[in-house]
Amino acid sequence: MLETSIDIRDALFDAVYDLAINDKELIFITGDMGAFSLEKFKKNLPDQYINAGIAEQNIIGLAAGLALEGRNVFVYALAPFITMRCYEQIKIDISSMHLPVKMLGSGPGFTYSQDGPTHNVVQDVAIIRAIPGVVIFNPSDQVSAKNIIKISYKCQSPVYIRIDKGELPRLYSNDYDFSDGLSLLKKGNDLLIITTGIMVHQAFKLADELAKYSIDAGIVDIYRIKPINDQLLLSFIGQVSRIITLEEHSIIGGIGSIVSEILVDNGKIMPVKKFAVADKYIDRYGDREWTWSAYGLDVSSIVNEILNWNKILKV
Amino acid sequence: MKSINELEKKANWVRNQVLSMIVSANKGHIGGAFSCADILTALYYGDVLKYNSHDPSWFGRDRFILSKGHSAPTLYAILADLGFFSMSELNSFCQKGSMLGSHPDRSIPGVEANTGSLGHGLSVATGMALSGKMGKKNHLVFVVLGDGECQEGSVWEAAMFAGHYKINNLVAIIDYNRQTATDFIDNSVDLEPFINKWKDFNWDVRSVNGHSFEELLKVFSDVRTREILKPLVVIASTIKGKGVSFMEGSLPWHHSVPTKEYLEIAKRELSI
Repeated sequence: MLETSIDIRDALFDAVYDLAINDKELIFITGDMGAFSLEKFKKNLPDQYINAGIAEQNIIGLAAGLALEGRNVFVYALAPFITMRCYEQIKIDISSMHLPVKMLGSGPGFTYSQDGPTHNVVQDVAIIRAIPGVVIFNPSDQVSAKNIIKISYKCQSPVYIRIDKGELPRLYSNDYDFSDGLSLLKKGNDLLIITTGIMVHQAFKLADELAKYSIDAGIVDIYRIKPINDQLLLSFIGQVSRIITLEEHSIIGGIGSIVSEILVDNGKIMPVKKFAVADKYIDRYGDREWTWSAYGLDVSSIVNEILNWNKILKV
Repeated sequence: MKSINELEKKANWVRNQVLSMIVSANKGHIGGAFSCADILTALYYGDVLKYNSHDPSWFGRDRFILSKGHSAPTLYAILADLGFFSMSELNSFCQKGSMLGSHPDRSIPGVEANTGSLGHGLSVATGMALSGKMGKKNHLVFVVLGDGECQEGSVWEAAMFAGHYKINNLVAIIDYNRQTATDFIDNSVDLEPFINKWKDFNWDVRSVNGHSFEELLKVFSDVRTREILKPLVVIASTIKGKGVSFMEGSLPWHHSVPTKEYLEIAKRELSI
């Protein structure tokens, strides 16, 4: 049923390439970032491929100018730089002018954990979702990545896509319909883990561990963070008595905040625990798993926290 | 094309409209609006820009971006006069529910890009010009920047890109009035040697008196036939507040609104 596993970036860029072959108006601008599958784009479609150098503010402005002329523009740079370095350009040149530019941010969260706070971004969802009209996707495997590109291409709004790296385990079948924006990947009767991106895989490990304590945890993958499908999410939430959110993003403004907002806005009172990146720098470096541990986002820490929480809740 | 005398009269009319709008709204950046009035008048009335006020999105038009968006009243007066929208709209400038805000946006017929925050317009203009080059189109893209705006780093990102990619269908004009909001530019962060900066970024650089229609029309006379494969920048030396004696070169008139005797003097001088 499933294809050979490939790097999520290659799945995504292959999808862009397939679109570009049939659409000469599709322009790809990179901020001096490469990827294995981009080599064929550069080689076979040189008139549609621009390396605009390390200048993200200009890249967003260029993209806006091209989009104003009717071009279908994808821009690509490291996630911290294509969101925070050019935040005002996204707000004014893209959002306020209602231009359907697609922004691809590689390496969200702690993808490049050893590179430290300059190259980690755990604020991108918080800030981008505050800009009107920008759709935010966070694919969790190669199938979702490929399909999210297809959906984004047809989308008349600006789009920001967080792109992880590596061969992530497959979660979806090739014919999965991604129009809902989120999916219940695992049913559970006790609590619901609401998560996104790379942390979906961490959620499966967490659910397995919780099962050892007779806690039946469900998993929801939010692959479209904005606009969020709140009604579908509420229908899943209605089946459990408590929720945890799990994300590789700041505790301020990510899906923990989004879920909390949805509950408040819908008058729903229930226990929620947010597992996210604390609002601090740790000033120490290690691989991604180590960094998760340093922020208490490893499976063992989360399980302990949930067990203590259960005692407080008396469940 | 209008004669030099007619252009001067038109620019004077534009300044009068700007004055009325700003006084009526009790808001606006009058100094910079006056400093670029002759430049915009030359572009729109001097047979420089190609446009169709009855079909603002006509594909063959030249694109014009006012990157120093705070000079919007100057552009509004011209667009209304040319029939892009009704003259009566000018009376609504900054009033409740008006389409004419203090800075221009694309909902206004004839406005190509939302501007106001400085340092955005050159990149957007470069993207539009790049698209034109890709499609082998003949139209040009014009963008007017403030000199203070050139303190923004993003201007130089765009300048470097446009120079490298030889975006020769792009024309930038700098309203070089040598003042920013609170100071003279050489007292904050000076731009000099300004010509050399643009040359070093691989631009075709020309200098002009931004209040001389003879010089402005001459400098734009060959914009469609330039053979040099470089974007063009016209550094137009101007006077902030040009046209009203007490505003000229005076720092408070960046965005002060004239009242009482000042308003009477301004009206009198602009009626000449």
